[in-house]
Amino acid sequence: MAKRRLNLFWLSVCLALLFTSTTPLSAASLFGDDWETFFKDKVSFRGFAENVTGLSVSHGDRHFNTSNRLDMQRFTIQPEINVDATSWAKFFISWRFVKEIRYSAEGKSREKTVSYFPAAPVKPLRNTFYDEYRPKPWEAVLDLLPTDTLKVRVGRQFISWGETDGIRLLDLINPQDLTFSPPAAPNLFNLDETRIPSVGLRTLYTIRPVSNTILEFFALPGFFDEAKQRVDEIVGSNDTTDREVRYGRWSAHPETRLILAGRNAFGNMYANPLNPVTCQTATPTQIGCLVIPSTGRELPDAGDSWKIGARITNSLGKLNFGLGYIWGFNPQSTDMVFKVKSVRCSAPVPGPCLAGFAPSVVSLRLVNDRTNVFAGHFNYPVGDILDIPVNTTVRGEVVFLPDKPYNIAKFPGAFGLRATVNPRHPTGVVEKNTLRYALGFDRTTLIPFLHPDDPWRAFSLSFQIFQSIIFDHEDGIHPFSTAEKIKRVSTALTFRIGTGYFGDTILPDVFVAYDPEGYWAANPAISYVPPGNEKIKFSLVGAFYGGRNKFKSFGFFDEKDSVFLKMRYQF
Amino acid sequence: MLIMNLSVKGEPMTKCFSAICCVLACSVALLSVVLISHAAELDLKPGDTIGPQNWQRAQGMVGENFLNRLKQGHTIQIKAPKIYRPLKEYIEATEKYSGRVSLGPNGELLNYVSGQPFPKFDLSDPQIGQKLAWNFFWRWLGDDYKTGGAVKGGKIIRSAIEKDGSERRADLVSYFFFPRTRYTSNPKPAIPGYEHIDYMQLRVDSYPRDAAGTTTLEIRYDDPKKSDDLYIYIPSIRRIRRATTTQRCQTLAPSEFNLDDINSFNGKITDFNYKFLGEKKILANLSQEKLPFDRKHGDYLPLNEKWEVVDTYVLEITPKDPNYCYPRKLLHLNKMTFDTHWTLIWDKKGDYWKEQFGMFTPVKLADGREVWSVADVVIVNVQNGRSTIVTATRAYNQGYPASMFSLATLETIMRGGSIE
Repeated sequence: MAKRRLNLFWLSVCLALLFTSTTPLSAASLFGDDWETFFKDKVSFRGFAENVTGLSVSHGDRHFNTSNRLDMQRFTIQPEINVDATSWAKFFISWRFVKEIRYSAEGKSREKTVSYFPAAPVKPLRNTFYDEYRPKPWEAVLDLLPTDTLKVRVGRQFISWGETDGIRLLDLINPQDLTFSPPAAPNLFNLDETRIPSVGLRTLYTIRPVSNTILEFFALPGFFDEAKQRVDEIVGSNDTTDREVRYGRWSAHPETRLILAGRNAFGNMYANPLNPVTCQTATPTQIGCLVIPSTGRELPDAGDSWKIGARITNSLGKLNFGLGYIWGFNPQSTDMVFKVKSVRCSAPVPGPCLAGFAPSVVSLRLVNDRTNVFAGHFNYPVGDILDIPVNTTVRGEVVFLPDKPYNIAKFPGAFGLRATVNPRHPTGVVEKNTLRYALGFDRTTLIPFLHPDDPWRAFSLSFQIFQSIIFDHEDGIHPFSTAEKIKRVSTALTFRIGTGYFGDTILPDVFVAYDPEGYWAANPAISYVPPGNEKIKFSLVGAFYGGRNKFKSFGFFDEKDSVFLKMRYQF
Repeated sequence: MLIMNLSVKGEPMTKCFSAICCVLACSVALLSVVLISHAAELDLKPGDTIGPQNWQRAQGMVGENFLNRLKQGHTIQIKAPKIYRPLKEYIEATEKYSGRVSLGPNGELLNYVSGQPFPKFDLSDPQIGQKLAWNFFWRWLGDDYKTGGAVKGGKIIRSAIEKDGSERRADLVSYFFFPRTRYTSNPKPAIPGYEHIDYMQLRVDSYPRDAAGTTTLEIRYDDPKKSDDLYIYIPSIRRIRRATTTQRCQTLAPSEFNLDDINSFNGKITDFNYKFLGEKKILANLSQEKLPFDRKHGDYLPLNEKWEVVDTYVLEITPKDPNYCYPRKLLHLNKMTFDTHWTLIWDKKGDYWKEQFGMFTPVKLADGREVWSVADVVIVNVQNGRSTIVTATRAYNQGYPASMFSLATLETIMRGGSIE
């Protein structure tokens, strides 16, 4: 009931604002001249309409099995209203309406089952899963400036810390939504499409403006935002019988190397069969040794519970830096872990499993742990070094995650499997202090021979290095989704270059990422802005992945290569 | 050969020049003198019309590209000059503080507090160029101003015009704040703690939608060796990025401006050499009729605007950095306001590259006093045929708090929203 009331409230606000902001003449007659002046001077109406068509380069793969090469046809309209009400109060509201045709592979994957004994039929998601019809605002924020130094923002909003590009490090506040966007593709969608705004409060108190000493506090209660079932951000559930975790367009390639008795033995990484003794004495490949995974997402996720944080930023000379703390759920999908909830028999009674005639089923729940995040960042512009013009902004971010949970298994595993339960950690989970950092180097460079039309149009270059260090590392730590070890130190490198030609009517931009373990991603884009119309933009964007195998890093997506055509009209 | 270029003083001849070169150079010098005196003696009167039939009357008083347009048919009319008076507070500050101001060994300003640094100067002073440059830099610009503030709608309107006449528009607002040279608002003359900052600028893009909310915070320090600070809030990623400001030559596409073209010349004064080339009468418009001025779509030429004869100082700017994009730039400084009317730019080959002219318009302070503000500014790249028009009228002394010019402001920008 409360939810319904809330929806009605937002609907009323939406209709009232739309009505008043789009009908100035009638508004004048309804509200009088003062209101007409107010709407004319203080209210602005903006937004965009966008169509994205995606074509699968990897059409035909089992895990990207679109009915044809079309893997995205998405139309979005986002109206936005800005109200500069007074010098101390401003209001911004936007809605997002999305319509997308169904993606057939998702439906097909739901029809699959590998359970030994067929369980309940798969329950499909709502047909409107990718669509947004509701009048609930996408963003709705009220900005209050009670004093020159205090700024308060209340409402459904984005809060983004950090400066990294393409790969997130400090950007841990809003929940992710990878429904529409493949990973490491900053040229395809911006943050609006890859984050879910949260209702909350953000305050900024400027202690000393000249040195930019600012104290920031935010609180996201979470309970205003309903948990959204988002299949696409989940690494594939490997064709199990659950009703929640499914392949999506951009879900990663699932683990397919753990086969026992002709069945998928992914569950053996997390649990032993109900009667492991039979496996120790009998043929290890018998069916009773098999553990079938039954996976599900345990909500609430990042958008469903309190998250609070604070940081202080300051400038010392040319150095700008900040230190902060976040308490809440980490929304990064790659930081989730499977936790074992129970082990049962695949048969209605445990007898066949205990006798070694039927496989066991492990119930796994994919969770984001509530965690402490200690964060820091800095940026520093470097001019000349030894008279060499470096002219580069160096930026850095660091995140310390104490006791961050990881899944762990034993490599090589029993029964000839690549990995099975780690006897030292029978829960399959281990907690380790983890340090992550990123260093970025940004500069603009003139490359005249690549710019015959305007040698002074600069290229923007950006290089980033990301490293994750697991302290007290143990062998066997792995991503929740695959039997591929995570090393003590993981590294990723990115490079981005962009410029504009012919008066910025042609805008190429290339983002590439490389994992030294042998994986890569490329996200080239070229946009065209007609010289006679600043409102229109056409973009051709590619998202390509590859590497050593398809069980880790960017290799997860190497069968999901796609190209996209975006057509965007701003109003 | 450029018309306005002819009027400048030449370097001494060297022995290596051939006799022919000497003759040519002498001819050019003679012609320059003739043109200077010609321009000065044109005696253009209000009501006179200049067009293709008598374009010679404007020769040397406008940029070459503009002159070509006169030859091709464009017609302008001369009006009576608009006279502005310097503000009392600025004069008082000048009288109070200018006596102690001097130049350092690298051209830096020493003991400057506020007002015009060098109100009394000798045109034969070998350092006159540097002094004029500082007078230009510290001309009266109010305690703060909002560019776009005096235009209907309160936004700067920028139109980028392609060679074929197609146009793209962008709207933005710019806020300047001068914390160490305050003439009207307390504390005066400087806000404690801000004495080391020459100015701070916030620039907010508001149209088209995808650019709306993009905000830059730029801080210029008085330390000649310290580069500007530049932070950019990018709404699409909801984050602040820091950028270097040392690459000041890059085109701010799709406009034809670069960072140092803002306000005609926005470089650090100590990064350049200055040479006074003489006094000159030019054509300018100090009381623009309409904001923005009337024009044909796809063309930068102002229609229905009259021009007036204005006395200027011609200042040649050459960079200390040999790799700088503009090896030579000429400013024509208004003798009273020290604002620029015509800015002419050459490239490294010595070819004419860009010309910029700025019109002005009277605006009122809160107390009703009339002051001047830049109105429409046009920059034309004569090499690629593109031009950019910016309608950028200022509203002065808005009383912005210093805290507005901090990163906290960038954190709270909304798409298309204002920051005041």
